[in-house]
Amino acid sequence: MAERAESALPAAPASSFWPVLRRMAAMPLRDPFAFTGLVIYLFFVLVALFADQLATTDPMEILFTKAGKVAANTAPGAEFWLGTTNLGRDIYAQLVHGTRSALAVGLSAAVIVATVGTVVGLVSGYFGGAADAILMRIADMALSLPFLPFVIVLTGFLGASTSNIVLAVALLLWPNSARVIRSQVLTLRERAYVEAARVTGASASRILFVHIAPNILPLSFVYAAIAIGWAIITEASVSFLGFGDPDNVSWGMMLQDAFASQALSRGQYAWFVPPGICIILVVVAGFFISRGYEEVFMPRLRGR
Amino acid sequence: MILEVAGLQIDYATRAGTVHAVDGASFSVPEGRIVGLVGESGCGKTTAVRAIMGVLAENGRRAGGRVAFKGQPIDETTTRRHLWRDIAYVPQSAMSSLDPVYTVGSQLVEVMTRRGAFSRSAARARAVELFELVGLSESRLADYPHQFSGGMRQRAAIAMALALHPSLVLADEPVTALDVIVQRQILDMLRGLQQRLKLSMVLVTHDISVVAYLCDEVVVMYAGQVIESGPVREVLARPRHPYTMGLRNAFPDLLSDALELVPIEGSPPDLAQPPPGCRFAPRCPFAMVTCRAMPALIADSRAEGHVSACLRDGEVEQLRPLALDPVTWQRSSSYAAS
Amino acid sequence: MRLILERFFHNALALLAVITILFFMFRLMPGSPLAAFINENLNADQQQAMLEQFGLDRPLWQQYFIYLGNLARGEFGLSFFQRRPVTTILLEVLPNSLILTLSSLIVAYIFGVLAGAWLAWKRGSWVERAAVPAVLATRAAPEFWIGMVLLALLSFNVGWFPSGGASSPGLAYSNNWERIFSLDYLHHLALPVLTLALYLQGLPLLLMRSNMLEVMHEEFVTMARMKGFSEWRIVLHHAARNALLPVVTAFALGVGLSMGGNVVVETVFSWPGIGRMLVQAVSVHDYPLAQGAFLMIAMVLALMNFVADLLYMVLDPRVSHGRAG
Repeated sequence: MAERAESALPAAPASSFWPVLRRMAAMPLRDPFAFTGLVIYLFFVLVALFADQLATTDPMEILFTKAGKVAANTAPGAEFWLGTTNLGRDIYAQLVHGTRSALAVGLSAAVIVATVGTVVGLVSGYFGGAADAILMRIADMALSLPFLPFVIVLTGFLGASTSNIVLAVALLLWPNSARVIRSQVLTLRERAYVEAARVTGASASRILFVHIAPNILPLSFVYAAIAIGWAIITEASVSFLGFGDPDNVSWGMMLQDAFASQALSRGQYAWFVPPGICIILVVVAGFFISRGYEEVFMPRLRGR
Repeated sequence: MILEVAGLQIDYATRAGTVHAVDGASFSVPEGRIVGLVGESGCGKTTAVRAIMGVLAENGRRAGGRVAFKGQPIDETTTRRHLWRDIAYVPQSAMSSLDPVYTVGSQLVEVMTRRGAFSRSAARARAVELFELVGLSESRLADYPHQFSGGMRQRAAIAMALALHPSLVLADEPVTALDVIVQRQILDMLRGLQQRLKLSMVLVTHDISVVAYLCDEVVVMYAGQVIESGPVREVLARPRHPYTMGLRNAFPDLLSDALELVPIEGSPPDLAQPPPGCRFAPRCPFAMVTCRAMPALIADSRAEGHVSACLRDGEVEQLRPLALDPVTWQRSSSYAAS
Repeated sequence: MRLILERFFHNALALLAVITILFFMFRLMPGSPLAAFINENLNADQQQAMLEQFGLDRPLWQQYFIYLGNLARGEFGLSFFQRRPVTTILLEVLPNSLILTLSSLIVAYIFGVLAGAWLAWKRGSWVERAAVPAVLATRAAPEFWIGMVLLALLSFNVGWFPSGGASSPGLAYSNNWERIFSLDYLHHLALPVLTLALYLQGLPLLLMRSNMLEVMHEEFVTMARMKGFSEWRIVLHHAARNALLPVVTAFALGVGLSMGGNVVVETVFSWPGIGRMLVQAVSVHDYPLAQGAFLMIAMVLALMNFVADLLYMVLDPRVSHGRAG
């Protein structure tokens, strides 16, 4: 038994969404890491929204020097902040526009994972029985597929498009959130106030949405935040291997391009380091945010 | 006196401020006697006892007072050489107090070889003896903690405590987690062991019937302070502090007919901001204005006999019969509203 | 024991599900149903052999069971472009992947466990507060990017390490073991292992730290203090032993997961392993080879999941010795 003489704070069961949403909005204000994570997200969202203003060059346009030659592999300077690729494309412009792809992939995957995971977790946990057994078997199957190989095979044969990648990622990531949410639902199901609601004749959907779902919401967010990072890294990996969408400017595509055109041996750090840094920032932001919610809504006895 | 505690103060630093978990507790343990330390949860009894063992949570510290073992003062630094060799501890829940990945026997041997001067073979032999002493079969030494039942675990914990022939045993709610029949067995065993081995004991509990059954002396704590102490028969038959009077009503006495259960209304004060004066005053049916205003008298049990920290000590003969009447406790104290 | 059988069947069924999914995936994707095993690259005899071996003219449900039978015998078909049995090709490259995976995991876990325990001991200090986000950053970086940076810095820039492959050209060995233990091989192994280890250490580090923090608050640790044991004894003999349990299981799981994830690192360093083989096979649509590589990775995953279950049962006395009374 941990001996901390703090007055015990019983977790007040939320019976509606608003108190929970308020707590969720307030969390970053108390957790500096989560706050940093949110700031990072905001930064990238803004970059994505104003990409055209921030980088006026077309990222895929081959640029030429005044002498008429391809402006290949120029060093970072006043004209091209990060230099150009071996085909004369503006690296900075690619980096900025790559943000859009990253966020699109990340957010769509996160939404799918969170939705599917939450719904499956709720249904499985609350109704149990055959639905639970079937859903959990499917979850097991999804978990026993090797992640990256599966995405590779899927995109390799179905075609290289961003939506295929998002689909593959979502297909393989939802089981984790579904399982955790399911066990949380199992715990909540036994709580007194749910019993009381059942006894007074509340319908299953009412119990689910009014009593149980609000307490699950933070968990969905935790896994959504994690999914964003995973999706971006997976998309980058798949693009790096050459299975990405060739028309789509993404950080992964930049890295693949750099690798294939020997940027490493030329020491063109300005080409391949920034995309990696961007990926790290976005993924770490997701970690910080998900950790923040974990600490608040599933507190452990010890402090951090 | 084998153990003397004077004005002990233990503070915890929390987000809500400093909590004075123990605020001026004084009591002593005569050699060869069993002293019961009784009070409701949160009153500081466990904290006090664990502090004597030199074990406090990270945010806790001893803020004042004196603890002396056989006349020698002990604190966090000096207590170590006494640990387990002279002063041992029996925990409340033996399940979590034993390492789950090692057998119980090996843990017994461990404490004997590392803290005592035993060789491995001598330690193993003594482990068998200890188990015999507490009524456990030798084959159980090879089992893991989770394979023991509740009662058996408590016996093992007691065996562990006695491993190095301590002279003082601090038992923290040793029978609380057990059912009534097993409780009685363990208590009888404790009494037998105490007599045979001439142990001194401090028995921490919230159950006054346990105190009545086993202890020679009793020390009553409330809200971090000692409010009454004395020989057990005296204090239980003729309590002098209103809290003790209320406590006695709340527990069916093991020795006499079950009394009507009379709970004390209200709850203990917040120890981060204790009320001025007597801490029991808000719940006390006999409280006067002065009880709230004056700093509380702290019972000093180093004085012989039966002492109480109540301003109205002189009127106990009149107050006692009133305390037996449930109606007294239902009427809230005139000064209780705050 | 019943538990062992239960876990075995659970993992075996999961593997069977993967095999089934794969079977249908490869049937559905290419043009004709035959295209999963037959290609114009193979000569007529080979095509006929495949037709018979996999029963490609039979109804689909029959093909499924024939397929399972073939898998059980280790028959994965013929590679379109190498025109050799897939099994042979895979077994040639499997050791490279295994060595890469195991070496990086061992390095990562030894470091992670020690660093995690140390960080737990330094709780509350600025070191700990700075270290945790830093470790999270290592987990946030794509493995292949770490590889790229290391390759650029340590190979191309200062020339300490070779830039790829598993051996320098022109070297010959009498047998495989000699090759694997040669200095040249280890020299080539160093950067990939460093890359993977950098990426993988985050998990055991954070896990060990988290476990130690929890265990140090357990009652039996407090009791050990009350018995007067030295801090070293408490931390090593009691706390760490308890905290290590989940880490050992994670190691086993990590081997399974790593085999799949190593794909990208093998590509960056041109490391001739199964992952790289999978990528190449998929790019050229060499279906039998792709299937075989994927299945081999899935099999290692299922096997290591089972091993993890076993380890957990063996190491935790609460599971291995049931309730006796």
